[in-house]
Amino acid sequence: MNPSPAQVAARVIAATERGERIYAAVVTASPDPSLIGRRRWLSRGRHGGTLGSPSLDGEVAAALPALFPPRESRGALSRDFDYRDGDRPGTATVYIELHGPPAGMVIVGAGHIAVPLSRLGDMLALRVEVLDDRPAFANRDRFPAASAVRVIDFRDPFADTPLAPRDHVVLVTRGHSFDYECLVRLLRMASRPHYIGMIGSRRRVRATHEQLLREGFAPEDMGRVRAPVGLDLGGRTPAEIAVAVAAEIIMLRAGGTGVPLVEKERVVERFFGGRNPAGAAPSRSSDE
Amino acid sequence: MDEKELLALLAGLEEPAVLATIVAARGSTPRKTGARMLVGERGVIAGTVGGGCAEGEVIEAALKLFADGGPRTVRVDLTDDLTSWSPAVCGGVMDVFVERANPERFPEPC
Repeated sequence: MNPSPAQVAARVIAATERGERIYAAVVTASPDPSLIGRRRWLSRGRHGGTLGSPSLDGEVAAALPALFPPRESRGALSRDFDYRDGDRPGTATVYIELHGPPAGMVIVGAGHIAVPLSRLGDMLALRVEVLDDRPAFANRDRFPAASAVRVIDFRDPFADTPLAPRDHVVLVTRGHSFDYECLVRLLRMASRPHYIGMIGSRRRVRATHEQLLREGFAPEDMGRVRAPVGLDLGGRTPAEIAVAVAAEIIMLRAGGTGVPLVEKERVVERFFGGRNPAGAAPSRSSDE
Repeated sequence: MDEKELLALLAGLEEPAVLATIVAARGSTPRKTGARMLVGERGVIAGTVGGGCAEGEVIEAALKLFADGGPRTVRVDLTDDLTSWSPAVCGGVMDVFVERANPERFPEPC
């Protein structure tokens, strides 16, 4: 029997709870009307339903790795497929969804910035985990939106926190030496998280990079670290800084530029010959 | 309602419902491919495919599926003339696939 959207939704929930990726495909258009609405799901070693043709099932399965990069945990798209059953060729438009375990936001340092940042991470549908070595700070009452809050030892900060390339790590500990210890661990990981952010002034970031260089890291490794973390919004309060960090994560995930849309689109200038209403924000820079 | 909640609702829904999914979107549309809406016999249960007139069109198509079960694609054109003051001036076109979400809950399974 053709699996219904409700049945596939139950499969999706079960698979993502197990930490597995699952694909759901449905034929939305085809010259063969009997295929429309046929549905198939695939997860690690399991599958159910059919798109109505073994050849079409095979074509779709073979296309998945190229359509959904391994780092993605969510995706939705439609593609046209050619298939052939015996000597009967056919075409079908197939809508495919990927559901995977959500990417993580691991916040190291349970201080002022971690509180608003954990809430923003939850709003962005990230799995939020907060780590600190102080039980008074790393507790659930402080972080109701977090999936996990852990008291850690900075000598091995990620011992109980498995990390994958899709994850985001934000280092906002109370001391720069703790940030540095975490950074060294992260940069040595075989499959390191794609987003590693570290808070700090220009001077402190420079000092960290000098220390990394002495430790034998290459400038390419250092370039992998987003430090100072966040977009330049000019904010100063913990909430403002958290928004700047969350904005940078959205920008990288969604492929944005971080430029104000009014400057990117320049609608007034393009279509009305006027000046752009807002110039670039004054840059705040100081020599050190 | 976020996506996780919509999935949980969809998986456990007891009343018959129609699922509307944006399966393709070109140009500027209020919601993108993958956005979903659940429609019951008395109207929208959860989710949205963008609101406004476009959504009205989708709801109308969804309600027809309670009578005849055939899944189909509804093309929604949001490229109305800018000066028309219609809400459909986003500048995009989207295909919305409508199908019975839980055919096993319908009185006559199709």
